[in-house]
This record gives sequence, structure tokens and C-alpha cells, in this order.
Amino acid sequence: MSRRSALRLLGAAGASFGFSATLRSATTPPQESTMPPALPGSTGPGPNPYWNSVGMYVNEPQKAPLLLLTDRPVQLETPRHYFATAFTPNDAFYVRWHLDGIPNAIDLKNWRLRIDGNVTKALSFSLPDLMRKFPAQTVAAVNQCSGNSRSRFQPRVPGGQWGNGAMGNAKWTGVRLSTLLSAAGMKSGSLQVQFQGLDTGMGPEGYGSKAFLKSLAVTNPVLEDCLIAYAMNGEPLPLLNGFPVRLVVPGYFATYWMKCLTWIRVLDKQDENFWVKTAYRIPDTPRGATTPKEVKAGTVKTVPIHRMPVRSFLISPDGGSKIPAGMDVILRGIAFSGYGRVNELEVSDNDGKTWLPAQLGEDFGAYSFRTWEFRWTAKKPGRYFISVRATDKTGNIQPDEPVWNPGGYLWNRIERQEITVGVAE
Amino acid sequence: MKRPRSTKRLRLGLLVGTTSALLAAGTAGILCAQSRYGNYAPAALGQLDQAVPQALREDSTFSVSAFPLYPSELAAGEGQQETNIFCGQCHSTRYITTQPPLSSAAWEAVVSKMRKTYGAGIPESAAQKIVQYLKIHYSPK
Ligand code: HEC
Repeated sequence: MSRRSALRLLGAAGASFGFSATLRSATTPPQESTMPPALPGSTGPGPNPYWNSVGMYVNEPQKAPLLLLTDRPVQLETPRHYFATAFTPNDAFYVRWHLDGIPNAIDLKNWRLRIDGNVTKALSFSLPDLMRKFPAQTVAAVNQCSGNSRSRFQPRVPGGQWGNGAMGNAKWTGVRLSTLLSAAGMKSGSLQVQFQGLDTGMGPEGYGSKAFLKSLAVTNPVLEDCLIAYAMNGEPLPLLNGFPVRLVVPGYFATYWMKCLTWIRVLDKQDENFWVKTAYRIPDTPRGATTPKEVKAGTVKTVPIHRMPVRSFLISPDGGSKIPAGMDVILRGIAFSGYGRVNELEVSDNDGKTWLPAQLGEDFGAYSFRTWEFRWTAKKPGRYFISVRATDKTGNIQPDEPVWNPGGYLWNRIERQEITVGVAE
Repeated sequence: MKRPRSTKRLRLGLLVGTTSALLAAGTAGILCAQSRYGNYAPAALGQLDQAVPQALREDSTFSVSAFPLYPSELAAGEGQQETNIFCGQCHSTRYITTQPPLSSAAWEAVVSKMRKTYGAGIPESAAQKIVQYLKIHYSPK
């Protein structure tokens, strides 16, 4: 039977039951010319038009299929739909390493977390030491890559071309960093606490391509909030997320959340290593914004990146299908801020002209994702631009202006989603 | 199908600098007392790596299989080989192919950053060829 006569038959059968529908033959393969173009491996020079980055799904150890940025070292993005809930599953949590020597195996009989440097007593701890000798603390906290949403930048900047999925929220359980630091006893003259994990790179000794290290000033109040986490959502961390322990720095960008944390050094001088002195720095300006011209002129003063500005996202509907006019839909999403809990979330269905408050979900603490919902009915068919914006406890409200800096950091502009509402009768 | 466990592909020693090291980087691992790391192996797309508990042992080593590597997608042309070898030492060339189209000046800055800031050992003649290649294939049209 030809495709056409099959369709006619099916159409007739449909008509005889009193409904009509367009049917596509399931048996005939689509013509080459009717296939949608494959997603490109990269986007640009305009902004990436998609919510996520455009990599293919890949299967890494202990992970659900995630979106590939790079395979060596491993960098994976979490697909949009995983953000429908406040906590991101461990196997879907994004992955970001800088150097390609990532641990494949760790022998816990030999592994120790070490604290040394400018301390009264150098100490080392096995994993059972950390789990049994100190009180366990749990915090819900968002871990977001400094370069999350870098693919939105105009003009585009080099670096990992993340969509919005280089973030995740988990309940982190572990020991307070300050407990271990006081056990070791920081001596006078201490300036910074330096963190290093097990990863190592192919570059020469003394270069950022050999070792990844980050430091926080001893006077930084965030040290009091830091945990050395051995559990993530109540389970061991996936190796790609830092098993056996990683540093948790609530409210701060993920660059400080050292994975496979193994060395803590108290320094009596400023950390001059590349990843502190040169990389992960933001212009010392409102929102960390600057221009290519100022960068070229060399007039931009920088500071180390630190807290995450307020952000919010619409997760569903994702705009990929039409909604019938007159039908109630629940808009859902998440919001967070590194500057105190999100206490207001507003939705606009007219591209930001007017705003209405959404219902906030359960409060899991100041550093967690907070879910939100908004019941929405589009009475008339048409194209709608849904925008969402969050306000945090400090009073920061998401701006509608883009941000630009050469590192591709701190994107937090109001997100918009085009949604098509169709004729229902 | 299960990817091979890393143990069999383990290699000792530091693999920086030599050409064979560059080519072996994909499958070589490095060992120290507490960990084994940097083990990658070519993988096929589209297969789910299913858990095989009977392969695990009750010792103190916690391991995962080799990290999958996918074929380089560098565009064919003059300079591709140099780019593959010299720009694939520390990271896969996917670092290049996932970038948006970058201006000539931006590519020059990237290559100079790799050499000066990250200490990439790339001879001047190869570096020039690579920059030329990147400008031709990965700049705005
Ligand atoms: C000595 C090691 C080394 C070599 C060789 C090397 N790179 Fe890199 N490259 C790095 C490191 C380290 C990073 C930062 C990785 C990260 O943050 O994920 C990087 C990052 C990049 C990035 C992302 C943008 C950025 O600045 O972070 C691009 C693009 C890149 N490299 C291109 C190249 C090209 C092209 C070559 C060959 C000319 C090359 N690399 C050779 C070490 C190296």
C-alpha cells in the first residue's frame, strides 16, 4: 500500500468516528529534507538561543546522561527538566573540572585530609575520622559555576560555553571547616586558607595548567559557613563531584568548592597562584560589568569572584509545545541568591510590562534553591513572553540589562521564555 | 557494554612533554599512594554504562571506569594536525570546537595564553600555523 492511500484510509477511519486529526505515517521514514537540522556543536557569534548548552548527551561514570561540554577534562551540563525540584539528583548534578588528571580511584586506607602550613599542629584525618569524631552539619546550598550562562554574553567570550545548567542544589553534610582549623590552631600572621584537591594537569610545575588551587582570606566571614562535605543529598558524592569530600562555601560561586579536597594550607602570605591572582576575577564595578573597550585600555581593576547574584528560572513549560487558549497551566521554576534568601518572585506575561507575585515553595534555607509556582491562563491565542524575576533579602532585584566582562561571569539578567498559545476551538 | 576498568590501562610515570605522551594521554593513568587518576578511554556514543556490581571488590579502593573520550571534531585543513597534537596535550580539542566563532585577535590571545600563561610547549612555527588554522575555521564568517 502506498503511503498516500494508507493515510487516506486512516483519515477515513478517523472521520467515521466523528473526529478529525492529522496523522503521520509511522512506517515511512521521513525524507532527508523534512528532518530538522541537527543542533550545532557550538553557537555564535550571537547568543546561544537555547536554555541549555548544545552538547550531546553522554554517559559518564556514576552519572545519568548529561550534556557534554568537554570530555577531557570532564565538563557536563544538567538538562533543564532536572530543575523542576528544589534538589538536584546527584547523578544529574553538573560536572566541571579544570585539569584532565581527574581521580578514577581513591584508596581510602591511604587517603587523608591534611591541614598544615602556618598552624600550631599539622593534622590529618581519614574519612571515618571526619564522619565520627566531629558533629555532622547539614546545609542546603546551591553550587553554581562562575561561568554559568556564559553562552549568553555579547560579544561572546572564550571559556566553557555553558547554557543555564551549570548549577545544582544539594543537602551537603559534613564537618565545619572552622572546627578543623581551630583544632590545628592558626598561628598569628595567617592571611589565607588555601585548598587543593587530587586533580592535576599536564602543564609544567608552577603553572595553572599543573595544579588547581583556591584560597579564602582568614578574615572572610564565609569561612564560618564552610563545610567539608562527605555526603550530598544523604549519599556519598559521585567521584566527578568530589568524592570523598569537597569544600562547601554557601552563597559563593563553585570555583571555591574544591572537589576531592585533600590539602588545606594556612598561608602567611597572599596566594599568588594563577587561579587566585589571575583567573576567576571580576571587575570591581557594580554587577562586575565592564566593556571590551575598557578591558583593552587596561583600566579595569579586578577582585576575586565571590557571592552569587540573585537569579531565577522558568523551568516548565519550556516553550517547546503550544498551549491551548483558556487552559490553566502552572508555571514552575526555581530561584536563589548568594546574598540572602529569595523572598519575592514575580512573573510577567507581557515581556516585563507588568508583574504579578508567584507562590514560593518550601524554604530550605538561605542558600538553597527555592521553587515557585504561578497559575497562568492565556485567554487569547498568540505569542507570549514570560519573564521571571527574583528579589533577595538584601533587596537585590534581578535587572533586565545584560552584563559583560571578559571572564563571562555573573550573568543574572531576567530570563524570558517565549510561549505560544494556540486556538482551542 | 561495560567500559574496561582502568586498572588494565594503568601506566606509571609523568607524561609531560614527549610526543608519545601526548598521544598516549588519552589512555594513560597516573598513580600515587592514595589515588589513580587521568584515565580516559575512547567510547561509543549512545550506550548506557550500566552498573555491574559483581565487578566490585570489598577493599578500600573506590573507583570508577575510564572517562569516555569522543573523536576530535576539528575541521579538516592545513594546520589540523598541529592543532590536534599541540592543543590536545592538556585538554581535548573540544575546548576549541565548542567555542563560538572568535575574532582573529581573540584566537591569537587564546594561543598566546596557552603558551605564556599555561606553559604550553609549542614551537613558534607550529603556533603560527595553528593560529592561521583557527582563524580560517573558527572565526565569524
Ligand atoms: C600546557 C597545557 C595546555 C596546552 C598545551 C593547551 N592548553 Fe588550552 N587550556 C589549558 C588550561 C589549563 C585551560 C583552562 C581549562 C579550564 O579552565 O577548564 C585551557 C583552556 C583553553 C580554552 C578555553 C578558554 C580559556 O581561556 O580558558 C581554549 C579555547 C583553549 N584552551 C585552546 C587551546 C589551544 C588552541 C591550544 C593549542 C594552541 C591549547 N589550548 C593548548 C591548558 C593548555
